[in-house]
Amino acid sequence: MRRDVFQAIADPTRREILGMIAHKSLNINAVSENFDVSRAAIYKHMKILAECGLLEIKQQGRERFCEGRLEKLNEVSDWVEQYRQFWEARFDSLDNYLKELQSKKKKHGKKK
Amino acid sequence: MAKRNDLEITRVFDAPRKLVFKVWSEAKHLAQWWGPKGSEIEVKTLEFRPGGIFHYTMSFGGGKMWGKFVYREIVEPEKIVFASSFADEEGNSIRTSFIDPWPLEILNTVTFTESAGKTTLTIKGAPINATEEEYNKFEEMTASMQQGFGGTLDQLAEYLLKIKE
Repeated sequence: MRRDVFQAIADPTRREILGMIAHKSLNINAVSENFDVSRAAIYKHMKILAECGLLEIKQQGRERFCEGRLEKLNEVSDWVEQYRQFWEARFDSLDNYLKELQSKKKKHGKKK
Repeated sequence: MAKRNDLEITRVFDAPRKLVFKVWSEAKHLAQWWGPKGSEIEVKTLEFRPGGIFHYTMSFGGGKMWGKFVYREIVEPEKIVFASSFADEEGNSIRTSFIDPWPLEILNTVTFTESAGKTTLTIKGAPINATEEEYNKFEEMTASMQQGFGGTLDQLAEYLLKIKE
């Protein structure tokens, strides 16, 4: 399954993890201690975040740290912009079509 | 209202709501306006009911693409909720390579309101994830104001900016 940024942010735990590592890289264990769920569950979320390109896990000596790669989140804003353009264009087209339909109706009305 | 990242798009149409709703719900009308400029739409299936699908092709400049809606909720003439995606000929949702990034499926909520013979159309969009489980989580996320999220994506965008600061 392809991983993308939308999938990454769909889960509240993952968003919380992102919030924690947004400004500083943190030891993996330190991150998982902040949650009530099991460490394994947090690792799984980190793995998904890593696969989505939003987090990188780095070995430093005996410790493992996770670092945020938040520039990836720009993809979400890019998408928002594209979605807007897409619908503005559809609405233009709808507007034209409605005008066309209604002018036809009027013409038919006048014929009688 | 016209914030750049606002994912709620509104437009007023000079037509009664009944007509505007109708052109969203019938194949012969959809074929006329749905689809990017310069493209031709051919409707393969239109089942305008909750759970039903709209499956169509867009042809333009020699290219051909399939698209799909799955209707989730229909309240005539007020509201249509549907998941939209690119599709293959069999109607499976697929990703497209030429717009990236783009979610596999998007949940769209369109509302129609009428005032003085004019119709205000509002569309809200949200990405849907690959599985139903994740879809539910997205719902959960939009319901949870504590997390800094609201029902619309502009709040999501704001949140994203906030954590990036």
